[in-house]
Amino acid sequence: MTAVILAAVVGALFALGTFLLLRRDLIRVVWGLAIISQAANVYLLAMGGLAEGTADSVPILAGHGDHVPQTADPLVQALVLTAIVIGFGMTAFALVLSYRVYEEHDTLDVSDLGDRE
Amino acid sequence: MLVVLVAAVASLLLGRWPRARIGVSLAGGAAYAVVVAAIDWYVVLAPDAPGVATYQVGDWPAPFGITLVVDGLSAFMLTMVAVLGIASLVFSTRVLPEIDRRSYYFPLFHFLALGVTGAFLTGDLFNLFVWFEVMLMASYIFVAYYGGPQHTRAAFWYVSLNLLASAVFLLGVGGIYATTGTLNMADLAQRLADPGAYGLEPAPVVGLFALLLSVFAIKAGLVPFQFWIPTAYRAAPPQISALLAGATKKVGIYAIIRLSFTVLADADVPVELAVPGVGTVIAGDSPLAFVGAALFVMAAASILVGGIGAVGRDSIEGVLAYSSIGQVGFIALPVALAATTASAELRHLAVVAALVYALNHTLAKGLLFLAVGAIRSATGTSRLSDLGGLAGRSPPLAIGFFVGSLALVGIPPLSGFFGKFLVFDAAARAESAPLLVLLLVGSLLTIAYATRTWNRSFWGARTDAVEDASVDVVQVGVVLVLATAIVAVGVGFEPVYEFADAAATAALDSEAYVDAVDPVEPDELETGGGEH
Repeated sequence: MTAVILAAVVGALFALGTFLLLRRDLIRVVWGLAIISQAANVYLLAMGGLAEGTADSVPILAGHGDHVPQTADPLVQALVLTAIVIGFGMTAFALVLSYRVYEEHDTLDVSDLGDRE
Repeated sequence: MLVVLVAAVASLLLGRWPRARIGVSLAGGAAYAVVVAAIDWYVVLAPDAPGVATYQVGDWPAPFGITLVVDGLSAFMLTMVAVLGIASLVFSTRVLPEIDRRSYYFPLFHFLALGVTGAFLTGDLFNLFVWFEVMLMASYIFVAYYGGPQHTRAAFWYVSLNLLASAVFLLGVGGIYATTGTLNMADLAQRLADPGAYGLEPAPVVGLFALLLSVFAIKAGLVPFQFWIPTAYRAAPPQISALLAGATKKVGIYAIIRLSFTVLADADVPVELAVPGVGTVIAGDSPLAFVGAALFVMAAASILVGGIGAVGRDSIEGVLAYSSIGQVGFIALPVALAATTASAELRHLAVVAALVYALNHTLAKGLLFLAVGAIRSATGTSRLSDLGGLAGRSPPLAIGFFVGSLALVGIPPLSGFFGKFLVFDAAARAESAPLLVLLLVGSLLTIAYATRTWNRSFWGARTDAVEDASVDVVQVGVVLVLATAIVAVGVGFEPVYEFADAAATAALDSEAYVDAVDPVEPDELETGGGEH
């Protein structure tokens, strides 16, 4: 069930991101990029899956009593964390850059930008 | 090999001190070159060299920790970057004083080198992604460096494209992790070679690898992902364009070679693609058949688009940027050949051809971009219509440019000759007439745009811009040193060939790679991730 919802969410995010990416407004393009990279993050997170926690894989569970919970794969979480940080930095940079484009060109419209040499 | 990273980081940190910045940067560059040379010697060239060396960061065993690996292929690539990096760095010191207030140039330069180095050394896919980002972040800023309208615009498209590429990269990485349960390249190769032992279904890897291939093709600038190159190269400072063309493109090529031959070569996945009306176009029992076919198309299109585009440009940078697209086609074509052929001998030859050609491209294109930089800082323009008679104004510069052009064309005894020769040799041995025709057309186009650029800028009547030019001695010196290197590589080709040979052996010998990294065997492994 979770998998279905996650799949739908990832699909919706990609659709929204692509839609925004194709707009004429530069800020929307940046938003589109941000959403697409978040969609990739959610997808990455969904790739890990849940496994039965055992004392082998999670040593602390050995002293935890009988009720061993399911554990999520920690590797993908680490990967996503890295990807989020990188994506955050890049989004900020892209926003600054689009402000700079606005300063230089007096417009944020993609098709106007293309016309000037 | 960690020393390489430390050298880059140290020079970066020290680079913040304003006065000593240039000196420390140069020292850092020199230290980098020395370390790379040492790695070359101990890992590959020395008589009892191991061929592969690994460093497990934090002493974690292979598939769990971060692994740094250097083998012949990485070492070969690192050497190219080191040579070009030094040249570009020395060149930078002469261009920059006028715009010294932009003080983050040198630290960024080292970041770029750091990213490229990391990408060559890393042993797992996700770290490849991270190093790509490190490298790209520095290059974004360099593309926007001059801060004029067209620079910010170029940088914006460049950033957008690469952000999208990064998202696609993550998708590929995530999918591969879910499918195989590992991201370590050696572990991946081991698991794909024997999927049964690990209980995995490797078929999706082909599709996921196609995603990665498109990302690497963007970095390498292969058609149909070439559109960002001309604007970005024109916007970046020339010495950075030299690095972009010479180093970051090679990261794309390196990633393709590494993943195709070290990781995927032994994978046991039948591939078959039938197109209605044509019949089976791709068939084979390894993903390489697919990779090869895709690369063939991209390489062929690159050669044509790049060559034809270069003939019609009106600025030298434009010509070089398009020529760069074409030349990458020449590098990718033998890689594609190696991926599709069944003969181990031909595969080896083709990879050697690709590497030698890549070396030639790095040297020649680096030289030409630096020469453009020298022309631009001397005359203030690089438009062909404003230039003329440069040969009389500065004969040394003309000689350097001439050597670079000839190396692109492939005249003996320059390095370009052997690159071209090996590529043609590989194509001839594959007995593929269309390939030979394609290569011939590509070479003719190269001759056409090289002579056109030469005639328009160096011969003819002197224009006003050229008459008033004051040529910087150090800049021309760097260009001449690179020209000497091109001649030296051509004349003393034997050791270079041996190095490339060792690199190709390393690239194709995934067993040695896996043994060196030594990932945990299947029976020692408890439940991996990747269950879903």
